[in-house]
Amino acid sequence: MNLHYLMNELYYQKRRTLTAILGLSIGIALLIILNALSAAYRQAAHAPLKEIGADITVQRPGDVPKDLTGVVFPCSAVTIRDDQVKKIEGLPGVRGVGKAVLLWIFDPSRAWIVLGVEQQNSVGPAVLRSAVTEGRYLEPGKPEALVEISYARQFGIKVGDTITMANTSFPVVGLVDASRAAKIAISNVYVPLEEAQKLAAASSQVQSVSPFSPSDVNLLFIKADQDKITDLASALRNIVDKKATIGTPESFLKLLGSLFALSDKFTMAASLIAVIIAVLIAFKTMAGNIAERAREIGILKAVGWTNHNVVSQLLAESVIQCFLAGLLGLLIALVVAFGLSFMKVNIPIPWDMSPTPHFLPGGGDQIFKTLRLPVHIPWNLACFGILLSVVIGGVTGAMLGRTISRIKPSEVLRHE
Amino acid sequence: MNNGAILSGKGLSKKYGDLKVVRDVSLSVNAGEFVCLVGKSGCGKTTLLSLLSGLERPTTGLVMLEGKDITSATEDELALFRRKNVGFVFQSFNLIPTLSAWENVALPLFPVKMNEDERKRRALELLDKMELGPRTEHLPSALSGGEKQRVAIARALINRPKILFADEPIGNLDSATGDAIMEILNRLHREEGVAILMVTHEAELAKTADRLVRMHDGEVIS
Repeated sequence: MNLHYLMNELYYQKRRTLTAILGLSIGIALLIILNALSAAYRQAAHAPLKEIGADITVQRPGDVPKDLTGVVFPCSAVTIRDDQVKKIEGLPGVRGVGKAVLLWIFDPSRAWIVLGVEQQNSVGPAVLRSAVTEGRYLEPGKPEALVEISYARQFGIKVGDTITMANTSFPVVGLVDASRAAKIAISNVYVPLEEAQKLAAASSQVQSVSPFSPSDVNLLFIKADQDKITDLASALRNIVDKKATIGTPESFLKLLGSLFALSDKFTMAASLIAVIIAVLIAFKTMAGNIAERAREIGILKAVGWTNHNVVSQLLAESVIQCFLAGLLGLLIALVVAFGLSFMKVNIPIPWDMSPTPHFLPGGGDQIFKTLRLPVHIPWNLACFGILLSVVIGGVTGAMLGRTISRIKPSEVLRHE
Repeated sequence: MNNGAILSGKGLSKKYGDLKVVRDVSLSVNAGEFVCLVGKSGCGKTTLLSLLSGLERPTTGLVMLEGKDITSATEDELALFRRKNVGFVFQSFNLIPTLSAWENVALPLFPVKMNEDERKRRALELLDKMELGPRTEHLPSALSGGEKQRVAIARALINRPKILFADEPIGNLDSATGDAIMEILNRLHREEGVAILMVTHEAELAKTADRLVRMHDGEVIS
C-alpha cells in the first residue's frame, strides 16, 4: 500500500471521495442520532423516579371509602403489609427500600394531603431535605411537620405554627418547595412515617377499606439494580397484588408515547435500517468509483502490481474514506444532538402516583414532569459509529478490490 | 545484432469465441534487438504483443522469456514477471491522473520495499534523461502529449527491463513529437542495448528497426 498514492487519489478525486464520504456519513449520523435519541428518552423516563430517589414505586389500588371524612387512603394506594415489605427487601436486585404512608385527611375546615416519610432513609421522599426553603427538615423521633410552601402561603402557615390534623397537633418546623424536588406523591404536609402510620391505623375509614396495622405502609420507593428492574416489577406484583401499580422507567417510557420511547426493538430496527442504508450507499458509491478506475487498475497490473498489491491499495483507500465518513457522521450527529437537546419533553405523571382529591382546586389536572431532552452522544456510541464505518470500509474495499483485481490488463488497455 | 533470443513465442494462437485473432505465430526477439511488428489495424498485432508480454494468455502455444515458460505462470507470477523484466509504452500513455510525473515513473516500484528517496532518485534520473527535469511535479493533465509519452517511457524503464513493448507509441502524437519519441526509443536501443518490440501500422516507422515483421489476418507473413 502506497500512502502517497492513496492521499493523492483521495485529494485529486474530490467528487468521488466526497460522494463516498457524504453518503456513508449520513448513514452513520442517522445510526448515532437514533441511538442517542433513544437513550435520551430512556434517561428522561428515569427523571420522575430519580428525583424521588428511587427506581421503582409500588402502590396497591383499593376501594374508595364510603365517606370522605377524617383519615382515608387514596383509592390508588391502600395497605402494603409489613411482611410483604420484608419479602420485597429480600428480593435479589433490591438495593434499598423507602417506606411511606400517603393519606388524605378531611377535617371539617380543611383537606390535607399528608405523606409520612422516613426521615433518615436516603431512598424515597427524604430527598425533600434539599428542598427545604425555610426552617429545617424533620428530625427522628419527633412528631413534627413540614408544610409545602404554596399550601403554607395559601393558608398563612408559618414555621413555628402548630397545625392540627385529625385531632393531632404537629409543630411546623419547616417549609418545603416540593415541586422543586419531585412530582410523585406531592403532598401538602410531610410528617414522620410513624406519625402517619398511627393516624392511618386509628382511622375507621382506612380500616374499613383496607385493614392497616401501625407497621404497614401504602407506598414503597425501591432502589434497584438497573438490569433487574423489569424482573423485579413482575416479582413485586406477585408479592403485593397482581393489580399493583408498579412505577418503573419503562412504564414512564410508555407514557411518553414517542416511537423512540416505545421499545428497544424500534431503535434496533431503525438502527439496522440506517446501517444497511449506510452499507448500501458505501458499496454503491465505491463500486461506481472502482468501476471508473478499471483502466487505472489495468495499468497497475500491467506494470507489475500483483492482485494482493491492488487489493491492499483499494482496501486502504476504502478504509480511510470510511474512517473519514465515520468522523463526519459523528460531527453531524453531534450538531444534530446539540439542536435536539433544546427540545422539551413532558412526562405525564399518572394520577395514581400523585393522587389529589378531584374536588380540590387543581385536583383533576394532569401533572407533568417537564425537562430538556438529555441528548448526548456517549463515547462508546461515538467509537462504535467510527468502528462500524471502518469495518464497512474494510469489507467493502476487500470485496470490491478482490473483484476488480481479477481484471485482465489487456482487456482495459487496448487502445481505442 | 544477435545476442541470443531473450523472448520467443512458438505456435501462438488466440481465439475470442469463434474469432481467431492470432494464428500459429512464432516469433523471437534477441537481446538488444529492435523488432518492429507492422500490419493493418485489426490484423492481430496488439494481441500478439499482449501474448508475448504476458498481458494475455495464448489459446495455444508457448512464450519463453530467458528460457522460462511464462504461459503456465499464475496471475501474480505474471505480474511479478512483468515488473522485473518488461516495460510497456502504450499509444494512449496510460498515466495515472492523480500522480505527478515522477510518481507515475515510480509506479512500478510502489509495491517494492524500497526507500522513498531511492525511488524518487531513480524516477528523477530517468525524467532527466527524457529532458523532463522541470516537469517532475506536474500532473499528467499539465503535460503535453509528447511529455506524457516521455513520462510513460521513463516508467517503462524504471525497473531496468530486458525488453520494452511499445504499442503504437506515437499513434496519438503529431509528427514532430512522434519523431522525437522515436528518437528516444532508438537511442535507448542503440546506447543502452534495450530490446524493443514495437507495434505500428506505419511501415515508415519501421525503417530504423533491426527487423521488420509483417502481420496479416492474424498471421506473420514475412
